[in-house]
Amino acid sequence: MAFSGALTLTDLNDFITPSQACIKPVEQVLPKKEENQSGAASNEIKIDNGSYYEIVDDSASITGRRKLEQAQISLNDCLACSGCITSAESVLITLQSHVEVLDFLSSNAVASPESRKVAVISIAPQSLASLAASISSSSSSSTPVTTLQILHRLRACCKEALGFAHVFDTTFARHVALREHVKEFVERQEKHCMKNQGEDGTALPMLASACPGWICYAEKAHPEMIPFIATTKSPQQVMGTLVKDWMGQKWGKSPNEIYHVSVMPCYDKKLEASRTDFYNEMYSTRDLDCVITTAEMQLLAQEKGWDLSLPVPGEVIGPPLDATLEEALLPELIQHPGSSSGSYLHSIIDYLKVNSPLPLSLSVKQVRNADYEEYVLREEGGPNEEPRVVFKGAKCYGFRNLQNVVRKVGKDSGVRVGIGAAGRLKGKAGVVKRGKRGTEDKSYDYIEVMACPSGCVNGGGQLKPPANFEDSEGFSRDWEESGVSMDSIPAAKWGNKEWTKRVENAYWHSLPTPPPSPGRENHMTHSGKRRR
Amino acid sequence: MDEDFAYSLNNIAQLGGHEDRAWHVAWNPEKALLASCSADKSVRLFTYSHDGEGSLKFSLSTTIPTGHLKTVRSVAWSPSGKTLATASFDSNIGIWERETSEDGDGKPGEWECASLLEGHETECKSIAYSSTGTLLASCSRDKTVWVWEVQPDSDFECMGVLMEHTQDVKCVAWHPTEELLASGSYDDTIKLYIDDPQDDWFCCATLSGHESTVWSLSWSPNGKYLASASDDRTVRIWRRVGEYEFKCVLILDGHDRTVFSVSWGKGRAGKSDSEEDKESLGWIASAGGDGTIRIWEVSESPASEVPLAKMIVRLPEAHGVHDINSVVWCPRKGYEDLLATSGDDGLVTIWKIQN
Repeated sequence: MAFSGALTLTDLNDFITPSQACIKPVEQVLPKKEENQSGAASNEIKIDNGSYYEIVDDSASITGRRKLEQAQISLNDCLACSGCITSAESVLITLQSHVEVLDFLSSNAVASPESRKVAVISIAPQSLASLAASISSSSSSSTPVTTLQILHRLRACCKEALGFAHVFDTTFARHVALREHVKEFVERQEKHCMKNQGEDGTALPMLASACPGWICYAEKAHPEMIPFIATTKSPQQVMGTLVKDWMGQKWGKSPNEIYHVSVMPCYDKKLEASRTDFYNEMYSTRDLDCVITTAEMQLLAQEKGWDLSLPVPGEVIGPPLDATLEEALLPELIQHPGSSSGSYLHSIIDYLKVNSPLPLSLSVKQVRNADYEEYVLREEGGPNEEPRVVFKGAKCYGFRNLQNVVRKVGKDSGVRVGIGAAGRLKGKAGVVKRGKRGTEDKSYDYIEVMACPSGCVNGGGQLKPPANFEDSEGFSRDWEESGVSMDSIPAAKWGNKEWTKRVENAYWHSLPTPPPSPGRENHMTHSGKRRR
Repeated sequence: MDEDFAYSLNNIAQLGGHEDRAWHVAWNPEKALLASCSADKSVRLFTYSHDGEGSLKFSLSTTIPTGHLKTVRSVAWSPSGKTLATASFDSNIGIWERETSEDGDGKPGEWECASLLEGHETECKSIAYSSTGTLLASCSRDKTVWVWEVQPDSDFECMGVLMEHTQDVKCVAWHPTEELLASGSYDDTIKLYIDDPQDDWFCCATLSGHESTVWSLSWSPNGKYLASASDDRTVRIWRRVGEYEFKCVLILDGHDRTVFSVSWGKGRAGKSDSEEDKESLGWIASAGGDGTIRIWEVSESPASEVPLAKMIVRLPEAHGVHDINSVVWCPRKGYEDLLATSGDDGLVTIWKIQN
């Protein structure tokens, strides 16, 4: 296995390359009298008595200069950027590593019974798929290992070797998140139709909120996208609430008496967990105490000398007779048909299909490659009627497609994309072109946005493909020999495409029969009271 | 001490007006129009025509204030000559088109910003249109190279974000006929990119050899060679020996300081001064921190894979004591002997090569 489990600073971001300048914008309230964009053509800054002044060269300013506010930078900002690295971030990074988990577990083991915490670990299905693909490809056996087997092996490892009390997968939390996501979409659509635009939570298209890489990028580079992003918690954070509040109550434990670790396919999930949104001030604790990547999980097992390629009793046939607490609490490995990145788009499509008075037909169009697909739902009209488009959604994965999402949403909705020179550019640039493309080109209602190409199965925290991995034709490719220098292969950056396919297969392979996805139920009858 | 050169370079116009250093110039491929850009955030457009006595006169056509918040580092014309792109240190790319006059008199109106391409995190350094004008490439200090598809109505779609370089990317250059892109960087390498029709753009080759920053790239007009200018004071000539395989076959040295710019012009077709069996590859002009313009006549013979380069001009102090930031041959038919340079003195100078 050629992988490096060590978290290095350069690995911090899943997709954004480190920038050389600090990108944190100064949040400054502009004085009212700024209509003619003072400073737009000037960027000279003078220092006077320890304060910073921007020199303004237009007549609107009396003093000819404007005092600049000091930038406020938090550790989270820096973790998100990695443009400059200070010792402070290193501290935050070590707080989110497998070493931290080991340190906690060893001190927890010897702690006095009253101060001992309940150690819980929740594992993402994409991480299970990555481990399953890796173990299947390195073992001589022809039967691939399933994610269920991996879950059971990890459960044994985490309980017996590491000292966790409970081991869950995060699919039930995702089930909850998807229901909430569908509900939010329906609410937005209703408000949007009632022309309540401008009010919070009405902007369409709704953009997925589960990918922290995308959220981080949107917040830093395209704040105008924020109103479009769903407010639904990600499965990781739903799991955080389930474990610390719901289960905690069952166990008679307060949130700070539980230590909750998640295993994720993505480095940016560490950032998500350390957001202030998910900090419980009353108990001074986070919903997730520590997030580790798939590779770090494997490292944990290795450091305890646990071989995940060896089966554990009862791993294939499901829960053993002496069903443990977690099986009693949560169903295991719930499958959500759709995408291996959480099926957000499909949940909405399923809901719309089930709840439509007239039958809807779905058509899927690949826009450029599998990372950008359009999904259109049409209502079959009468015999002489054209089918009416009732929903248009898309899945957009990868940094490149993300750019186009930002451009398209900005254009269709008329919000100004970005900052900088846009305000000064005259003529056509500022004008939104509407209606020129005919009615068929309805703008999107929903976009499942993920920062990584191929989505979460190809996350930055996943295991690297084995050194001599063969492609689908069964050839191991020697790129150097075919005259291609190895460092220039995109695979070096984004993982081998064939390998990602293998992980994708492992993700969908031999899961238990899926329960109905959230959309199949009529949420109006289930939801009881509306959220807002 | 001056050697005798077969050609001389005559200053035929000196175009001022920029209030700060002039970074880059671009000849319109279709019309008598030259664009220059500067740290003063403006673009100046100059026209030229023959006066009664047959000599070429240059005059300012218009100034575009651009609205960029920082230096306009580079300019590029689309092959149609109708669209101008500006790359700025404010990280954005401006797309400029001339609006048609509203009173319907057919007269072209003002240059207007038709689109603004955002995406780079920091200083955009260079931009270039592909030979067909359907693709636009840009590069930045954020270490990335972006490929944009030009769509109708000044719309653009991002086709690729290439994070291959480990440092600041200084320049991008498209192959003269193919959709093959080259980029040069502060990491001392040149990278080449192609599109995978089933997938994204990817890096298909890395050319190493320069000992310092690669500042500028220029393809030979026949597309078989690539010239690169570097902080190591050399210009290297890379020959295409396989589909995406390149080999450094010649190093042109002589510059005393950083070579900031290189341009490979057609030269005078079929009129090589060299022997009969040699085929002319055109003229390579280079300039940089030493203020000297050098021009080589390049030719190849079927017998050797190494082209022959003969220096035909060496002109010191072309912009006085100032650095020369760019040197560009005019691509228009009949004007291939025109060379434009821009310098830290804020001037754009037009030169004519004569023998």
